Amino acid sequence: MTVKWILHWTPTPGSVVNSQILSEISQCVESFVNAVKDGRWKATLTFYRPNLRDQSIPSEFPRDFLGISLLEQPNKYYFIIRGNKIILEADSTILTIMEKLQSYKSKVALNFEGVQYKMGDFQMKVVKVVPNQAESLRGILIEIEYLPLSSIEKAKPIMEEFLEVWREVMSKKSLPGHFTQTEPHFAEYKLPDNYTSQHTAIQYAAALAQLIQSAQLRG
Amino acid sequence: MQQQSQQAPPPHSTSTPPPAPPSSTGGSAAEAPPKQVALAMDKLGEAERIIADIRIGADRVLEALFVAASEPRHGTKPLQLFLKEDACMRRYLQDLRSLGKELEESGVRSRKDFWGLHMPLVCPDGTMVGYAWKRQLAGQAGASAVDRTRLALKAFTDQKRRFFPHLDCGLETNESASKKRCGSVESTLDPKEESSILKMLPDVLKSVEKEVPNLKILTFERLDWLKRASTLNSSTNENSVDHSYPGSNKLRLGSLGTVATEKVAVIEMLVPSTFRVVISLHPAGSTDPDAVAFFAPEESGSYVHARGFSVHHVFRHITDYAATALQYFLGNQVESSLYCLLHWICSYQTLFSRPCSKCSRLLAADKQSAFLLPPVLRPYWQFSLSKILSTISTKDHTSDITPAYHLGCFSEEL
Repeated sequence: MTVKWILHWTPTPGSVVNSQILSEISQCVESFVNAVKDGRWKATLTFYRPNLRDQSIPSEFPRDFLGISLLEQPNKYYFIIRGNKIILEADSTILTIMEKLQSYKSKVALNFEGVQYKMGDFQMKVVKVVPNQAESLRGILIEIEYLPLSSIEKAKPIMEEFLEVWREVMSKKSLPGHFTQTEPHFAEYKLPDNYTSQHTAIQYAAALAQLIQSAQLRG
Repeated sequence: MQQQSQQAPPPHSTSTPPPAPPSSTGGSAAEAPPKQVALAMDKLGEAERIIADIRIGADRVLEALFVAASEPRHGTKPLQLFLKEDACMRRYLQDLRSLGKELEESGVRSRKDFWGLHMPLVCPDGTMVGYAWKRQLAGQAGASAVDRTRLALKAFTDQKRRFFPHLDCGLETNESASKKRCGSVESTLDPKEESSILKMLPDVLKSVEKEVPNLKILTFERLDWLKRASTLNSSTNENSVDHSYPGSNKLRLGSLGTVATEKVAVIEMLVPSTFRVVISLHPAGSTDPDAVAFFAPEESGSYVHARGFSVHHVFRHITDYAATALQYFLGNQVESSLYCLLHWICSYQTLFSRPCSKCSRLLAADKQSAFLLPPVLRPYWQFSLSKILSTISTKDHTSDITPAYHLGCFSEEL
């Protein structure tokens, strides 16, 4: 799989994330490096909470138990426990099992809806984070992908420089905020250097956690 | 009807002896294949004719029966017809049987793949079989002709080399000579001897592998490469050099066994996680490259060959440039073109990490497409045999000082 980097939009303190910023960012991408719109993309993220009768012993159960589904892996479902740095790639039929077992209930579900752009050997996605049932924009992410490489280490210098170029372009627009990258700590999840969808899932989970954190800080 | 029932059953066998060419049984094995094939073709033609006769005979029998049934007043005429046809049919069937036996004995009709090819199954409709057999035999004749020609050519070149050594062949490396040399090559030699040693393909590959760590070189026959190209993605463990292609003669460097150096036509070089290069040699077994192409390490498919193009822009640009470099090496470094080419390719190990020597950046926009590309140009004229040897001996292998340029930066530099 090709290497991807995911960054989340951090608004400057005091400003909000709204659809205008999203369209500005999209415009930026579209005019950047001869980009060509390449299609739509979707992923979902669900927070699970244990289904307990007795609510007094919640501490034994993980608090940050997430499930992620990705468009590029329709037959897989990814479980992440961020606290213990565990990721599990399961078959998508696990959802039926969970439904039957009823041991965990879905607390919050979020959708990632993205538009993909292709620019030579690079690909970018502009992703908006919306809750499952509503339309309000909760966050913006971008995903950068370099197609020729699959080794995370080898792709690092290239991705860094691409990001620099991207940031330069963004700074011209003087939007209230910037993109930050959360260090995904792949090694702690015991993942190899070769990029896989598991890496993608971890990055999205990390980005979302950051978004939630910064949202909580703001208000 | 009652007339027919009164008749005695017609005679079983006929008096006509089966047509038998004099050399059919047993003697055919001693004849040359073309004659066997020609005879077999004749017999098949005959079988076809007999089968056609049988079909016509069957039609006549049916006609006779029909006439006899519909108009009984014709008397014994339909009966005579029927008897005659019956006798003919039995004769034809007998002929066919014996012909089949002959063909079996001469090895054509056996299921045991006498000439190494599968015979088609017998169809219920007799005519199809003859045609299919003819096609099969023609194919066998063709295959055996190619084999025989190849053997004849080999014998000829061997004899020529033996009796007329002063005539320069120059094309194919003699298998025994290369093996002898391989056994006695040491790691350090003075340049003059080394340049002559580098004429041999295994030596070139071995020395490059030694000089450039972290590089994997594999060699293939041309058809074997096509098989491998489509399955490159499945062999994701790049450490395993063992491939399960039965009968493929791969030159394993480090284990110079009885491998066919003269059949090597494709060289694959893999720098793990960075790129894969496919080089084609012409003629096979020589040290003359004739095409080179770069691909991403994960690319696989039938388009991954020395004249193919990667789907990625960066590797497409490098492949274009490599064609120019190849022509340069073939023209200016005639003796060591492959060696120089391989070393030049190795300078691309830093493709994704070394910034351009002119603008000091890693990515720059290509003028035509505006896509961001790493520096894809590395000057090839710096690679000559003497220069490579001197750089290898004077410094350690890990540092590589080849400058790199973006497409746009380079033209200004020149």
